[in-house]
Amino acid sequence: MIRGSRSRLLSAGLAALALTATACGGSSSSGTSGGSNGSGTLSTLVIANAVKVDTLDPEANSVNESIWLDQNLYSRLLQPNATGTGLLPDLATSWGISKDGLTYTFHLRRGAEFANGMPVTASDVVYSIERSRAFKGGWGFLLTPVKTISAPDPHTVVVTLSQPHAPLLADLAMYAYSIVPEKLVKAQGAAFFQHPVGSGPFMVTSFNPDTEVDLARNPHFYGTKPKISKVRVLIVPNDNTRVLELESKKVDVIENPPGNLVSEIDKTPGLSVQLFPSTRVDFIQLDEHYAPFKKVLVRQALNYAINRNAIVKLAYQGHAVPGASFLPYRMEFYDSAIKPYPYDPAKAKQLLAQAGYPHGFNAFLITVSGDVAGQAEAVVVKSELAAVGINVNIQSYELTTAYSKEDSGHSQMGERYWTNDIIDPDEVATFGADCQGGANAFSSYWCDSQVNKDVDQARSELNSTVRQQLYNQVQQAVYQQSPFIVVDYSPYRYGVGHWVHGFHATPLGNYDLSLETLTVSSH
Amino acid sequence: VSRFGSLPRRLVHVVIVLFGITLVTFFLLRLIPGDPALAILGSSYTHARAQAIDSGLGLNRPIWSQYGLFMGRLFHGSLGFSFFYREPATAVIVQHIPATLFLVAYSAVLAALISLPIGFAAGLRSGRAADQASRVFFTLSFAMPAFWLGIILILIFSVHLSVFPISGFGSGVAGHLYYLFLPALTIALGFSTVLVRSLRAATVSTLHAEFVDTAQMKGIPWARVLRRHVFRNAVLAVVAVYGVNLAYLISGTVLVENVFSLPGLGTLLVNSVSDRDYPVVQGVTLVFAVLIVAINVLTDVVQAALDPRVGQEIGT
Repeated sequence: MIRGSRSRLLSAGLAALALTATACGGSSSSGTSGGSNGSGTLSTLVIANAVKVDTLDPEANSVNESIWLDQNLYSRLLQPNATGTGLLPDLATSWGISKDGLTYTFHLRRGAEFANGMPVTASDVVYSIERSRAFKGGWGFLLTPVKTISAPDPHTVVVTLSQPHAPLLADLAMYAYSIVPEKLVKAQGAAFFQHPVGSGPFMVTSFNPDTEVDLARNPHFYGTKPKISKVRVLIVPNDNTRVLELESKKVDVIENPPGNLVSEIDKTPGLSVQLFPSTRVDFIQLDEHYAPFKKVLVRQALNYAINRNAIVKLAYQGHAVPGASFLPYRMEFYDSAIKPYPYDPAKAKQLLAQAGYPHGFNAFLITVSGDVAGQAEAVVVKSELAAVGINVNIQSYELTTAYSKEDSGHSQMGERYWTNDIIDPDEVATFGADCQGGANAFSSYWCDSQVNKDVDQARSELNSTVRQQLYNQVQQAVYQQSPFIVVDYSPYRYGVGHWVHGFHATPLGNYDLSLETLTVSSH
Repeated sequence: VSRFGSLPRRLVHVVIVLFGITLVTFFLLRLIPGDPALAILGSSYTHARAQAIDSGLGLNRPIWSQYGLFMGRLFHGSLGFSFFYREPATAVIVQHIPATLFLVAYSAVLAALISLPIGFAAGLRSGRAADQASRVFFTLSFAMPAFWLGIILILIFSVHLSVFPISGFGSGVAGHLYYLFLPALTIALGFSTVLVRSLRAATVSTLHAEFVDTAQMKGIPWARVLRRHVFRNAVLAVVAVYGVNLAYLISGTVLVENVFSLPGLGTLLVNSVSDRDYPVVQGVTLVFAVLIVAINVLTDVVQAALDPRVGQEIGT
């Protein structure tokens, strides 16, 4: 999920409670359920998304909402579970790994069919993975150690590696490696993805990427048939309009209600805002090309100078968790021993003096315009750093402009966030901590050779105890040396009518599992 | 408006303007920091992935060669391939034209229906209570931002009264008329202010014209004087205002399209700039330019039809 949703207007909120209540199941109805008479169920669910669909081609998806949508259409070999901490079988019912960790054998589900009744074969799987791997600028780099992918028989897929690769299963559970029918894609080319055929629980009946995408239950789906027969996904970019759609009950679920309307929705009888733990990490990058940020003492001082609780309260209405490790909150291999830096301005001043900046310095902070939570965060940061003598000048830019300035490494300070695409920490560690991973440690240009080594070793280490040890070392090093300030972990936010029972998003943002089981009462 | 002289000369101007627009949008776009690869990759940007995307999109060529390629395609009626939608930019743009065109036409008609009677009546009763009331009302509606007025209309007509849909375009002409009523009204209310004010002023000054006195003295009934002499002359003065503002209206639909989730050109343009989808931005800009030029020409034609003197000037 590369880009996250376009705007971080979304920001997000999350009670620590909601976070700890893992897999809260999203079952909604607490309190009154106005307008819902409880009798009878409806067959259609209406969701309003904020962002248009970029494509339904999994190799090319870059918009989160589109990724979540196409996970309802396609199966993969495996899929992440509801808590994002493990993998479930999908098209592969079982798999074996050779002793040397170099050969993976997947046994495919018998009788799995695409929505048009064609069988899903091993050669479809091989074709789909090879196709996504070859896509320019896509996710092929994740599978660099993969030597061959082959289909010895119609129900078996064999993947061989040049070196052990621990994240392989997590990589293959990623949206980019969704399985498409080889014959149709080859015959129709790009046109196929206007009316795609997959083997997921739903299929597309109407596709208007800017306004509405309609799904219907896939009669050939191998799993339990969803209880609802239709899903209408509306594209409603305006935050206020989306909330009004929910309040008038024309829509059942809306994504990202704006922070300032959360309490209004909660007060409306029959509606509530539901928060789901996400893999989102909000951080402030500190660019090491700027002299003060070369010094680890300065970077630590900033961590002590910032009051994370104040940011959580002001920017996220209290619905976020103060940040500690740079790994997404409580994902696999998250080091819970790391606690957020305490708010201690005196200590910050002392560290600054030690570093040779007793009177502070000037720095600018890049924010994304239209990002309400980010602006609030910037204001808090500015006032708290002013208290220790650092004069922060806030600069707001349109999203891509802001990223362009931050990536180039001349940004001093910049607000950024991360979300995972796979459940394995390899991705976030490579982008965020390994300066040779291609992203310059979240564009901080911080470099630590031991950390690089640990990230590489953890990637090819299959023993999970050893991996935990390696990732703990990486997290500790990033925490100590602070190439960026981990500010908070914020959740996904949905406005949901109480007549919807069982809506749930996983930490990766997918809601396809919940669409298989949820029900809609008349309202 | 007749300063452009003859129609053929005017068409040459149009071509030059359009050429200038391709040049300006092409190079201005590339001056914006951030490129398509960054817009696509966001947080998981790496140099290697960006290079792969650039070569896939042909962005690794020298910029002049890219411009040459763009112009070459343009002469063959193609705008290139949309980076974001992964289909021909022409097809993407054509899909977005109906909503905007329908909305603009609908708003223009509503605005005319609202402002002609009110503006004329206000002129006839200038200074009286009705005139003052219309002044206050339209000054307010002009001052209200479209996104706010739109939300208020949704609150009243969709949430509380449930008579109009909140968002969407509908299908079929009847569907469009129904779904676009609130957005068109939002635009029309803002647009009407200019029309009401200028029609009122034109009516007042026409009332004081000598030919009105003459007509009255000839014994023509007052109602007929108003219809044949006052109204016709006053409206004539407003046609140019109407045309010029209509052209602005096209580019001004962006906010309203956003509030009512309409799949129009305004939304497409804003999104495509964010996505750095160069071919689509270039294409939409060209379409806007063509529409604005076309409306200007149309305004001249209408004016000429209403006032023979204008027609003579154009014809020379």
